[in-house]
Order: sequence, then C-alpha cells, then structure tokens
Amino acid sequence: MEFKNFSLFINQTKVGRFADELAGGKIMSTLCKKCGKQYYPPQADCPSCMGSDMEWKEIKAEGKLLTFTKIHVPPEHFAVRQPLMPFSSVQFEPCPVGIIEVEKGLPVMGWIPKMDVKKIKVGMRMKASPLTLPDGKITIVLEAI
Amino acid sequence: MKKVAIVGIGHGKFGVRSDASLRELIFEAVKACLDDAGLSLKEVDSMVTGVAGDEFSFGIQPSAQVHDYIGFHPRANFRVEGACATGSVALRTGWMTIASGLADLVLVAGVEKMTEVPTSMATEIMGRAGDATWEYPFGTTFPGYYAMIANAHMAEHGTTEEQLARVAVKNHYYGSLNPYAQMQKEITLDKAMTSFTVAYPLKLYDCSLITDGAAAILLASEERAKAISKKPVWIAGLGCGTDSMRLGDRKSLTSLQATREAAKTAYKMAGVGPSDIDVATVHDCFTIAEVIAYEDLGFCEKGEGGKLIEAKETYVGGRIPVNVDGGLKSKGHPLGATGVSMAIEISKQLREEAGPRQVKDAEIGLTHNVGGSGQLSLIHIFRRE
Ligand SMILES: [Zn+2]
Repeated sequence: MEFKNFSLFINQTKVGRFADELAGGKIMSTLCKKCGKQYYPPQADCPSCMGSDMEWKEIKAEGKLLTFTKIHVPPEHFAVRQPLMPFSSVQFEPCPVGIIEVEKGLPVMGWIPKMDVKKIKVGMRMKASPLTLPDGKITIVLEAI
Repeated sequence: MKKVAIVGIGHGKFGVRSDASLRELIFEAVKACLDDAGLSLKEVDSMVTGVAGDEFSFGIQPSAQVHDYIGFHPRANFRVEGACATGSVALRTGWMTIASGLADLVLVAGVEKMTEVPTSMATEIMGRAGDATWEYPFGTTFPGYYAMIANAHMAEHGTTEEQLARVAVKNHYYGSLNPYAQMQKEITLDKAMTSFTVAYPLKLYDCSLITDGAAAILLASEERAKAISKKPVWIAGLGCGTDSMRLGDRKSLTSLQATREAAKTAYKMAGVGPSDIDVATVHDCFTIAEVIAYEDLGFCEKGEGGKLIEAKETYVGGRIPVNVDGGLKSKGHPLGATGVSMAIEISKQLREEAGPRQVKDAEIGLTHNVGGSGQLSLIHIFRRE
C-alpha cells in the first residue's frame, strides 16, 4: 500500500505503515517508548523528548466532535472528475468534514458522509473508521454514535 | 535598539489586473513609494521582496523579477515568505536590516499576481495553507479551515452568521471609499446573508478576494528618517507568534494562539496596551478572522467579538476603528502585498492623509497579519511623533 493512497501528495515518509494499517481496518497512532507521548497523526520522532524510538498503537477512535464544515467549493483534486486524479471518483461530495477528539486529546479528521450539515453539532459523540474507496484509495469517515 | 521609521509609501491599484505582470505591478508601487519619499532608487541601500507563492509567480526567486525590472541590482535583495503574512515578514526583515546597522535605507516591496492561474488551482494552492499531508486529503480549503473555526466560535460563544455578515458590510463600506480597493462597492446585510455557501457557515461575502496587487514602503534609520520626512511613522513594536500546523492540534479552536503571542510581544515592546490603539488593520481573510482578531488583540473580551461589530464599535467614530481601508475583504488580498498595504493604511492614518476614512487624531496604529490557517501571526505597532 502506497502512503499516497491516503495522502494524495506525499509518498515518502517514515510512517508509511499508517496507510497499510488503515487499509487493514485500523487507525494507528505512534507512542514514544522513552517518554510515553502519543501522536496522531503518527510521527516517527518525538519533539517532547527528542527521541525517535516509537511503537505503533491502535487508537480507540471515539470521541466528541471538536468542529466541522461542509466545503461547497472544493479544491482541484476533489472538483474535477478525471480518472488520473486521486479521489476523483468519491461519490459523497460535497460532503461535510469534521475533527473528533479521541483518547487523551488526539484529533482525528474525517469525512461525515451520512449527515446533513445542519444537523451536525459541535460536541456530539462520533466514531472514526477507515474506508476503502472503489478506486483503491483509503480515507477515514466519521459517524454519530 | 536603533529606531526605524516608514518614510515613503506606495500603493498600486488592487484588483483583477489582467493588464499587468508581477514585475509591472511592483514597478507601480515602487515608483509611488519613491515619489512619496522624494528620493531616487539610487539612494536606497538594500531591499526585501515579499512574494508568497511560487505557483503564482511562475518561478522560484521571484525577487529577481522584481529587482531586475526596477533596476535595483547589484544591491542586496531577496524574497521572504510567510503565506498570507508574507508582507509583514518583509516589513519585519526590513526593520531588522536597519536595526542591525546593515543599512540605513531599505525598500520593502510586496506583490502577488494571483488571477493568472485558474480559480480552482488558486483554491488548491491556498488549501495547502494547512497540512498538505494530513488535512488536505479531506478536501480542505482555505475557507474550510476558517469555517471550522467559525463553527467552533459559534458553538462556544453564540456568535451568529449575521454578526459575521456585519463585518463584510463594514469592510465593503470602507472599501467603497478606498480608490485602491478591488471592490469599491457597498453591500447590504441581506446581500451578504443570502450569498451562496462557500464552506458552511461561511458564504461568498464572508470570504476575501483573489487579487493582483503590489505595495511598497521605504524604511529609514532615525537620522535619515528625520532628514527625509516631515511625518515619519515610527515602528514602535514588533511581535511574531506561531502555532501548530493542524487545526486539531490547537489549544483553542476559537482563538489564534499565534496572534496572542505576537500581541503580547508587540504591546510590551511598544509600551502600550490594546486601549491605546487608535486605529488597526487586522487580518480579515474571512469575517470570522476579524471577529477573532478583536478578541485576540484585546479590543474586547473573549467571545464578545460578534457584539463589538454589532455595536458598530469598529467603525470610524467607534471605540476602535478596524479595517477602515476595506480590509482584505473588500480592498483585496494579494498575499505578498497585504502586510505592506496594511502598514501603508496605518501610515496614512497617522499622517492624517486618509481622507474620508480618517480616524481623528490617530497617534498609535496597529497591523495584524496572519499566515495560513493561523500557523503564523505578525503584529506591528506604529506611532507618529
Ligand atoms: Zn518522547
């Protein structure tokens, strides 16, 4: 699994395993073995102790919605239906997006395909799950629980 | 520390400038700036150029296009960048050049040529103002980031869409009085409220414009400033703060920590507080950004920004007039030029040359310029003598 299947632009990173795990159904964070600080999005390095000895840890992806929006004027990648453009076959656009806060303050961003934007409220409880799109790209969706 | 003043200002016409290239735009501003200072370019020691986007300038080192076309070489000139705060980064760099003793007269030029690329591409380039790896895959755009800030502010403080629209009405009103503005036309509250949604809850009139334009200022050391100008505008305080790349990592979604940090530093250096500011230009890339700026700069309490505009306290004659040049909202937002344009408006106000937009007896002014979705914020405080 190429990391680009998630990130669209960037393929070369030390945390490429994130995309493999996401394709396998898991949203992963990294945990610093030295000082215990947890990172989502995952980081290969820990600015807290300047260490780089990290381990992967699945996150319990449930929490309250910090904020959201619905973008009606999308950027080029999402606006143009061209076969070579990643995500151009996404069916749920325009689609609300939001950020939930999980575990001890980790922010998880995702699409909210199943809700009317006017019914979305800051503070509502949601869960995040990986989603593989028909074209093989992978992303994250949020739904109310 | 050496004192530094603005001794010349030059503002080009902002708008869809399909008649001119990047280098031709900067020429207009530089020429106006030198005329204002009453100097020739030969006398200038050093230069700083602010341009935000390589994609907009069709090449790296856009500063070379600038110094070549105005004939500044072989003297020092380089490009600085801080996204939408690029112009203020250029000003700060110019200040440092003089304060350090490297030069006595420094030209600070800011320019952006944004309309030559298609709007969807401009939207995408601006969308990368956030985290291109972890946020952009969710289709985020520049309005999208501020829309998320707006929804959080509304949920926490009860700020309304109508209060946001009132910021647009004010800034369009002042834009109508500014001959350099892109949109010289007033709008009604109803027009703002019924315009189409760009990123919920932000509508068309909550958003700043895609603009071509240039602005230039001439900075001088104390000795030179007094010889050149009868009305030097002194840079009394500088502040610069930063924050996380991603919105989700911020301590607060309803405030810009970078601005709070920059404000603390700038107020301390200038020896003034928010209540001493007579006039301000703040970063209204979106209406919610102006409301949050009121709060982060201390013009009102946290959460009261919506009420401040509702009470018209940020109009000329109000408690603290803000963006009475039309702001990014109506004057336009050519990224590299914006911070320089803000300093020009404050200079005009402190020189009492702002015409129908003049704030009476303005002695202390402030500019506030934000980069990206709040990763960077620069504040400058100016005083007349
Ligand atoms: Zn650590």
